[in-house]
Amino acid sequence: MKWKDKLRFVRQNLKKNKSRVFMTVLATAMGCSFLIVLASVGFGLQKSVVDNITKGRLLTEIDIHGIREDKGYRQISDKEIAVLESIDHVKAVTRRYRVKQFAEYRIGDLKTSGQPIVAHMPAEIAAGFELAAGRMPQRDDEVIVGFHFADQLRPSAEQSGGAQVGGGGDAAPPANGRDVSAKAKELLGATMEMQVKQWFGKEQKMFEVPVTVVGIAKAPGREWIIDANVYVSEAVMKQIESFTQTAYGVLSPPDQPANAAAPGGARIYEEVKVYADDVKNVQGVVDKLTENRYASHSIVNQLEEVNTLFLIMKTGLVLVGTIAVLIASIGIYNTMTMAVTERTPDIGIMKAIGAHPKTIRGVFLIESGCIGLFGAVIGTAVAYAVGYAVNLVLPEVIRAFLNGDPPEGLRFSYIPPTLVLISVSISIGVAVLSGVRPAVRATRVDVLKALRRDL
Amino acid sequence: MDGFERNVPIIEVKNVSHQFRIGKKGDERIVPVLHRIDLRVERGEIVTIVGRSGSGKSTLLNLISGYIRPTEGEIIVDGRNVTHLSEGEWADFRLDKFGFVFQSFQLIQSMTAFENIELPLVLKGVDEKERRRRAAAMLERVGLESFASHYPGELSGGQQQRVGIARALIGNPPVILADEPTGSLDSENERSLLAFIRELNLKDGVTFLIITHDEQVASIGHRKLVLRDGRLVGEKPDLPYADGHAERQSQRQGGDFV
Repeated sequence: MKWKDKLRFVRQNLKKNKSRVFMTVLATAMGCSFLIVLASVGFGLQKSVVDNITKGRLLTEIDIHGIREDKGYRQISDKEIAVLESIDHVKAVTRRYRVKQFAEYRIGDLKTSGQPIVAHMPAEIAAGFELAAGRMPQRDDEVIVGFHFADQLRPSAEQSGGAQVGGGGDAAPPANGRDVSAKAKELLGATMEMQVKQWFGKEQKMFEVPVTVVGIAKAPGREWIIDANVYVSEAVMKQIESFTQTAYGVLSPPDQPANAAAPGGARIYEEVKVYADDVKNVQGVVDKLTENRYASHSIVNQLEEVNTLFLIMKTGLVLVGTIAVLIASIGIYNTMTMAVTERTPDIGIMKAIGAHPKTIRGVFLIESGCIGLFGAVIGTAVAYAVGYAVNLVLPEVIRAFLNGDPPEGLRFSYIPPTLVLISVSISIGVAVLSGVRPAVRATRVDVLKALRRDL
Repeated sequence: MDGFERNVPIIEVKNVSHQFRIGKKGDERIVPVLHRIDLRVERGEIVTIVGRSGSGKSTLLNLISGYIRPTEGEIIVDGRNVTHLSEGEWADFRLDKFGFVFQSFQLIQSMTAFENIELPLVLKGVDEKERRRRAAAMLERVGLESFASHYPGELSGGQQQRVGIARALIGNPPVILADEPTGSLDSENERSLLAFIRELNLKDGVTFLIITHDEQVASIGHRKLVLRDGRLVGEKPDLPYADGHAERQSQRQGGDFV
């Protein structure tokens, strides 16, 4: 018997007792819906946590904290950078450090101050430094400013506030949203005087390095981070060092000879990041780093731990939800058993003229599977509606009763296609399983009894 | 057309005995129903088995149909020993070799006449287009072309039995097994049905094994077997098989039934 004909039989059979089938489908839909909504809480929380971890970070990014030695850790220098760059599947190695004094930035009548960050621009370009506007530096005197840099600029008459990371102080409110403000756009192409100072005996001298702003960095991943940094090249740093006569532009105290190291020594980097060429190669790179005694941290490692934890949680929720589907399966079993009883004469006739037991079993299993499928489809639609409502209403409930905002980006219910697939499979699987016994019973119908011993 | 190959057995029942166990388990009684039955039906024959109620004729047909298994002996159908076939094998075999005509028609009430007729082809997995063509032709043959979409409850007894016969014939089985085929019909429909059976046998060489208690029905057979108390007690061929089929039928029935 062809599948098409089996389905026709099933359709005819389901139409015979619409109300009973409808109630069974409804029970299955409720079970499936409960399963999805329950598990969606696990998926939602996982998504919230994972989004929180990955926000503004690349999955291919690996932080290098230092290199292990017998007594603690040593910071990364140029020698290690070369080693890191030679590892397979490493796309780029970014390294940054700060000028060790506050510089004053002046653009026309506006000014602010902060510690410039010295970045290796070719590596930043290779790593995919993200800009909100402008372009990456191509010359040594070109710089990038942070997304909130323009907000920190004050008229020269006012007392300048420090460019800060982490907010606070008398900083102006940060730019809202992710769009570059008009004020920031005006900076593009502008010449900025970067002024550093140094004590020479009792005299403090100033030195200005003219730079051009060519790019504005993308807004930080989290709203509460203020990026008012200025990213300069190594050449700018060298100009500063030649003025201060100290490595990293350290400002020596007045009346004291410079204790700091003289410029020209090996660079020590404060922030080193390795970028793998693909997410799937991150673990391999991390393994290689560990083998070479580098202390590293990858978001992938962190995600693995979080995902493992949530996998356990989601499995638990799916199992609890499956209980609802199992309860619904009692209804399916009952419906199918009644169907077999009612259709015993028809089954007898079919067997009498030569229907194979497999055919009869197949028709009943498809029938119970269809009940599961219809229930799952309706249940999924209901679950999406419930999930949407929960995401809409629950934050308001928290605001109303707990006098506070829910955590940023928290999602209570999230229904990914995987969850739908799992739930629909469980519903259909359970429905088919609950139809097995009635289907087997159908194949065992005694022909002679069914025909009332007619033949 | 001479519709059958002579002397080729299609059904052979060899030394078959059957007994039923009745009563509760542990307190069962064995009731013998058939005793050492030997029967041979050849292609193109109409064989009728007559006997009183309880003589075992239905049991014999059930054994040949594979609905029950013989306690002893063996049954060979179209050269294949079917005594020990599994249920699944029996289903396929039955669909292929037998057409069934029942006393109370045994049509599926939720299916139309057309759907009932095409059911064996559906079970065989025949293509829908081919199925429809053959079912339509069969409906026309039994004179029910205008009743295709009628449900059994909307048909008379005679019409229902014609649907039953059409269903039995549609798969072109070599043998039709009929149990009291006229049992639920009035005399006019009975005559019409018997004429149709003769026509099928004469023109298409369809073999019939008919169980009946009606002597008039039994008289259409080339051979009439009598079953009494589970034993075949007589066989009465009406005419010698050496003669031409049409001629034989004509002589026996006076040429009035085609």
